[in-house]
Amino acid sequence: MSTQSAGDIKKGMKLQIDGWPYTVTEAQFVKPGKGQAFQRVKMKNLITGATLDRTYKIVEKVETADISEHEMQYLYNDGEQFHFMNTETFEQIGIDAKVLSDATDWLLEEMMCQVLFFNGKPVNIDLPNFVELQIEYTEPGMKGNTAQGATKTARMTTGAEIQVPLFIDQGEWLRIDTRTGQYVERVKK
Amino acid sequence: MSPDGLRARARVLHALRGWFADHGYLEVPTPTVVPTGALEEHLHPLRVEGAFLRTSPELALKRVVAAGLPRIYEIGPCYRGREQGDWHATEFLMLEWYRVGAGLPDLMEEVGELVDVAFTAVGRSSPTPFVRRTVRELFAEDGVDLATATPDELRPGETDWDTAFFARWVDRIEPRFRGALFVEDWPATQSALAQVRTDGPWPVTQRFEAYVDGVELANAFLELTDAPEQRRRFAEANAKRAAAGEAHNPVDEAFVEAVGRMPPTAGIALGVDRLVAVALGERGIACARV
Repeated sequence: MSTQSAGDIKKGMKLQIDGWPYTVTEAQFVKPGKGQAFQRVKMKNLITGATLDRTYKIVEKVETADISEHEMQYLYNDGEQFHFMNTETFEQIGIDAKVLSDATDWLLEEMMCQVLFFNGKPVNIDLPNFVELQIEYTEPGMKGNTAQGATKTARMTTGAEIQVPLFIDQGEWLRIDTRTGQYVERVKK
Repeated sequence: MSPDGLRARARVLHALRGWFADHGYLEVPTPTVVPTGALEEHLHPLRVEGAFLRTSPELALKRVVAAGLPRIYEIGPCYRGREQGDWHATEFLMLEWYRVGAGLPDLMEEVGELVDVAFTAVGRSSPTPFVRRTVRELFAEDGVDLATATPDELRPGETDWDTAFFARWVDRIEPRFRGALFVEDWPATQSALAQVRTDGPWPVTQRFEAYVDGVELANAFLELTDAPEQRRRFAEANAKRAAAGEAHNPVDEAFVEAVGRMPPTAGIALGVDRLVAVALGERGIACARV
């Protein structure tokens, strides 16, 4: 485990606090005229996304987090795990669904994603902002119905359910924003 | 560095000097290479060939006051090691002035005028008038009574009172500051060169700090004029430095002797780079420095 002085904390640095990995989003040197120096640090938990503010004495030691990120391609899921391949080393790994959380809604075979490793274990996944998925089931479309705001539920081939406008048909491909889980537009395939 | 920042700094410097000339202050440049380092616990003077770069012009200016000049000021570079950040630089521009016979309220009035002068010089409206608050009030608003608080109450796990005080200060008190603020009645433990008052609920120093838009701009003292007490505080600061593994700083005997001859005086130091940056509404001093 490696440590370093709080005085050397910089934006982008990865720290380990209470067993969690954090990325430093802001680090500011502060020193009252008559007092000692401190480092005011804002951090984001790399797994939960929660933010954390800490003020360290400049001489304090902080633990750095062993963090790496790899581009990986999603291959398949075997019911228990989702399997990915490292596109540089071709090494394959399985990741538990609970680690991937909501990301499983949008995973389509061959999709490229960024996988975050903490102490050598996959802990989080970063999907493309937009994905294109096919509708597996939705109530039949009502042509010409463009009533404002009216939507219905559509189930995608990945199992995710989203709200779509009434004119959308089963079997169509949609562009979806993975950050909000919202329908963006129809795409031709 | 930005051309606009440098133009603004030039205008502010010109306006400040004009104000001091109008108010009967004499500009007195003093040496930047000095025989002894600062005797404050948390300052780290830079060394040059057996001497030091000054961390402030305070000792030299007080000798000038003791020599018989009652209203003096200096604008010049000062140097502090291990200080770098948005609001800190190893070399920075300091304005210091001393006024014989003045009290802290007199200096507050002058700071208010000088902040107005700086904002006017860059064409922005000043956040004055200043609001006066005591350190103890500010901590009370954050749920602790400083007169009785232990280090652990100020910052869980901390054992040193001053460290815990400042940790909470930078963490919870200072970030709330808005507008123009004078902070008064600081703990007595934090003053190497100011008078202490013990007639209130707890011992406080006769000093105030000026904050504008959350940035610490100036620190004012009712100056200590008791030479033996000055010598004792320097010894105490050196003991603290030794305990922290810092170098021993020799005592400037000419200064200690001058303190004993100094009439009652109030003095104040103001960071010029910070004043320019704050007047411009910038979030750091880089704009006003080359």
